[in-house]
Amino acid sequence: MFAIVALGCNAAFFVSLPFQQAIPWLSLLFTVVALIFLALGLKRVFSQPEVYRGKVLSIVLTVIALLLAGLSALGFVVTRKLPSATAAPQIGQKVPDFTLADTTGKPVSLDQLLAASSEPSSSEPSFESRAPKAVLLIFYRGYW
Amino acid sequence: MRPVAISVDEPDVSRDLAKKAGYTFPILSDPDAGVIRRYHILHPKGGPDEHDIARPAEFLVDSSKIVRWCNFTEDVRVRARADEMLAAARQLR
Repeated sequence: MFAIVALGCNAAFFVSLPFQQAIPWLSLLFTVVALIFLALGLKRVFSQPEVYRGKVLSIVLTVIALLLAGLSALGFVVTRKLPSATAAPQIGQKVPDFTLADTTGKPVSLDQLLAASSEPSSSEPSFESRAPKAVLLIFYRGYW
Repeated sequence: MRPVAISVDEPDVSRDLAKKAGYTFPILSDPDAGVIRRYHILHPKGGPDEHDIARPAEFLVDSSKIVRWCNFTEDVRVRARADEMLAAARQLR
């Protein structure tokens, strides 16, 4: 009975990985909590030598759980390794001009984006006909 | 307020993304990361096969090309909050 509960404690770890999609610090907290449950679970199982089967399964689950712990921690570290943006344009500064190709290969400049659209484009049906108050430039990693 | 997305993806890749996601705003291609470099948001070798890509960044730019709001996440899993950006955009009215 206690062995089953102890094994259940090991399974607490599998909660950690899915939460990485949400708040990173919360996922780290879950990792720590899961490690505590893991230790408690192991302690319970090994204090009951008559439950041999529980021991073996417990060790297997521990290895898996520790691998997930490693992945979780690695994920936490790797996704935070972004270069500093201190040299990027800040509030109050002017951004550089640019001309880049849109999805049809047509060159589009920052001036054009900030100006009124002279004619509706078939590739961009939602373009406003008036000049926009502002443009939101969203730089993303790509490779979707 | 007009959203514009920019990445190193080629136009055909961005076109597929726009089609799948149903995006109708402009998606621009900066394959050699030239503009990304000028905006000082390069993530050297940050992509698969160690390609140079952009680190995630958003700039709300007014008609004078002045930044009115910006966001530089320190974690790729954390996205900009729309409410913060919209509050800045409303101040431009």
